Amino acid sequence: MGQCLRYQMHWEDLEEYQALTFLTRNEILCIHDTFLKLCPPGKYYKEATLTMDQVSSLPALRVNPFRDRICRVFSHNDVFSFEDVLGMASVFSEQACPSLKIEYAFRIYDFNENGFIDEEDLQRIALRLLNTDDVSEDLLMDLTKHVLSESDLDNDNMLSFSEFEHAMAKSPDFMNSFRIHFWGC
Amino acid sequence: VSYDNATALQPGRQKTPSLDSSCFSSPPVNFLQELPSYRSIARRRTAILSRDKQSGTLLKPTDCYSSRLEGGITENLNSQCIRKYALNISEKRRLRDIQETQMKYLSEWDQWKRYSSKSWKRFLEKAREMTTHLELWREDIRSIEGKFGTGIQSYFSFLRFLVLLNLVIFLIIFMLVLLPILLTKYKITNSSFVLIPFKDMDIQCTAYPISSSGLIYFYSYIIDLLSGTGFLEGTSLFYGHYTIDGVKFQNFTYDLPLAYLLSTIAYLALSLLWIVKRSVEGFKINLIRSEEHFQSYCNKIFAGWDFCITNRSTADLKHSSLRYELRADLEEERIRQKIAERTSEETIRIYSLRLFLNCIVLAVLVVCFYAIYIATIFSQEHMKKEIDKMVFGENLLILYLPSIVITLANFITPVIFAKIIHYEDYSPGFEIRLTILRCVFMRLATICVLVFTLGSKITSCDNGTCELCGYNQKLYPCWETQVGQEMYKLMIFDFIIILAVTLFVDFPRKLLVTYCSSWKLIQCWGQQEFAIPDNVLGIVYGQTICWIGAFFSPLLPAIATLKFIIIFYVKELSLLYTCRPSPRQFRASNSNFFFLLVLLIGLCLAIIPLTISMSRIPSSKACGPFTNFNTTWEVIPRTVSTFPSSLQSLVHGITSEAFAVPFFMIICLIMFYFIALAGAHKRVVDQLREQLSLVRKHRPGGREWHCCGPLSHLPPKVYLQAWPSAASLIH
Repeated sequence: MGQCLRYQMHWEDLEEYQALTFLTRNEILCIHDTFLKLCPPGKYYKEATLTMDQVSSLPALRVNPFRDRICRVFSHNDVFSFEDVLGMASVFSEQACPSLKIEYAFRIYDFNENGFIDEEDLQRIALRLLNTDDVSEDLLMDLTKHVLSESDLDNDNMLSFSEFEHAMAKSPDFMNSFRIHFWGC
Repeated sequence: VSYDNATALQPGRQKTPSLDSSCFSSPPVNFLQELPSYRSIARRRTAILSRDKQSGTLLKPTDCYSSRLEGGITENLNSQCIRKYALNISEKRRLRDIQETQMKYLSEWDQWKRYSSKSWKRFLEKAREMTTHLELWREDIRSIEGKFGTGIQSYFSFLRFLVLLNLVIFLIIFMLVLLPILLTKYKITNSSFVLIPFKDMDIQCTAYPISSSGLIYFYSYIIDLLSGTGFLEGTSLFYGHYTIDGVKFQNFTYDLPLAYLLSTIAYLALSLLWIVKRSVEGFKINLIRSEEHFQSYCNKIFAGWDFCITNRSTADLKHSSLRYELRADLEEERIRQKIAERTSEETIRIYSLRLFLNCIVLAVLVVCFYAIYIATIFSQEHMKKEIDKMVFGENLLILYLPSIVITLANFITPVIFAKIIHYEDYSPGFEIRLTILRCVFMRLATICVLVFTLGSKITSCDNGTCELCGYNQKLYPCWETQVGQEMYKLMIFDFIIILAVTLFVDFPRKLLVTYCSSWKLIQCWGQQEFAIPDNVLGIVYGQTICWIGAFFSPLLPAIATLKFIIIFYVKELSLLYTCRPSPRQFRASNSNFFFLLVLLIGLCLAIIPLTISMSRIPSSKACGPFTNFNTTWEVIPRTVSTFPSSLQSLVHGITSEAFAVPFFMIICLIMFYFIALAGAHKRVVDQLREQLSLVRKHRPGGREWHCCGPLSHLPPKVYLQAWPSAASLIH
């Protein structure tokens, strides 16, 4: 693993990132350090990119069952620039507002990327959560049926963004669980 | 993205909404209207202004809004925080530049307003960042959360809350009661104590023999330390030390009895308010839900995974706990179905069985309470014997007998309840809740039984009624101190038990499991799990003792603070080194609500004995600040009688029946109004849900929406695919 050119972040850049994201100073500097350790040698940090594999193997995401979806949603052209990593950390930070988290959660959970969370997506989510091969079809069907009966308001067997938003606004655990705060500090 | 680009998008290929260079050809305002989050704001605003809108084209930028709306929405947009937009950083940067250029078109006043609001927000953020550094044990709790999940982390957050609560209670008592006394005693201010002897008082009531002996065995110091007698009795730890009627400063006289009573009321009110404020979130969510069970499937599927888990073994555990939970929920569904299909004979059989088992539960409770009653009476009677006539161990046993019986009862009854509930045939979730509720009641009621036993002993004399002083002055010349001593003993014993269990049960168990894992018995027993309900009951029990005892022993909250701090570290060590996470994990949201509910029950059970002792039992005439009053509560009427007459009549008016009855009726009416309103809202929600599904059904092809006027010939699917949040506009 090479090291990028070891530039300290300029104060203006730090201020700008603080204004544009929900991260605190220390968090931004932490992520900057982690990024510098991972990026290829000889590049300025603003131009360097990380591959999806590198980001997936960060300690914060290593054991997450949705890490491939997270990487896909937050990367551009399959690579992560420094600002992409910051954007990802900002969405998952403690101070982020609920609407932002719900927006990105919807994109993460939409596996087939058709703009809706349908039964196929729900079954895939359930499989990722259970993380076992020993799951019967019936169990998955039951789960999807229950989720849809609770949150599908217009009975079209899929969740649109507003239905998802509505369900997450009522969910007591969403804000607590949709958080990552260990970025290498 | 104007709608020309949208037609070029192939269906099924999701592109993350981003702004490309074509946007810059359109005026800035239109560009801003493309943003998804902006559109959801616009949707909310147009819902209010919708009566004036012409057509429902919410997608085409330029002819969508009347110019009046545009101006209003742009202003709304600019005051929104940039970070809330779901865009990446470079796009936000462009947006911010556009905002700043737009600012030039605004008036001076608007510019200044925006600038000052921004700086104010930045200042608040910096302040918030500073205060998070002050948060106690932040790193410890975070690492626990990462390793064991949010359920156990909520226990430690709860413990931290109790430490802060006790610290604040102690500060209140210190400010109101201790500070004037310390200032006078150490001559910091030029003040003096005021002592008013009561005129017509039988000399017997004021006799307070403090045992002062010549030769003392050294172990009596230890006994005194553990039971609050001897050298500790006259110190400021107990009520008896505060035999002062006032503190005379230069300009005024500080009324100590009134301050003492007010500090009690203040700390009870503060505790109540703080607990209610903290639990408001949990209550709100619980009230909104119409389903019987607290956790819905949506919550478990979408918010089921703790994204902050970084440890592989914790992740595996989370997977297995999710498997368990989801399967258990579906199982519960099935059982509920089965219950609904019961025949009437089966129902009768089940209910009569339940009645019988509940009688058994009541019998167990009565037996335990009676045992505590007997133990307390025995202990009180034999405590009066001379110390040197008893052996060391026997003495300690007698002193701690009530505590020992309470602790034994609290160990045995949960096992009995767990066995009984199997036969009652409830659904698994309800079983757990009912068992916990019974254990909570058992634990907290034992303290009340103890206090009531003491109360009955204090007010019963040999010949039946205590006419001389109102209480049994022979045995209890200073009964508040003695109640304080009992509370002190309970607290110390509870602390010793927690330490002993951790040291002598948890750690050896872990050692046995690690080194002797070949033995069958050890394998069966297994490693310790961190049982959240038991631990929470333990600390709520300690807090209830503190609340009751703080009136009789003003320094008890300080002791409780120290005790909880030590318990935090002990429990943390025990968790990290001896426990494995249990497969059935508590959820954080459920936990917070449960903990605060139990704490609230403890507070209510603590208020009852306090109010009875303050208003019914005459205060002791030999010691304490209330020697000149019949009961503790009498301070208030006497203080009110010193007010000016207009204020007096106001107070009398408010506390009379003529005011209380209409007030009560108005509160009832308001409550009924809100209940009716909630019912009406629920009906409206149901109707709207039906309407949504009807609208969907009656549109052929499923996905057409009538709103797009000029664009209705275009397939709306194209838009819906590109913009998940734009789809919300259609709804």
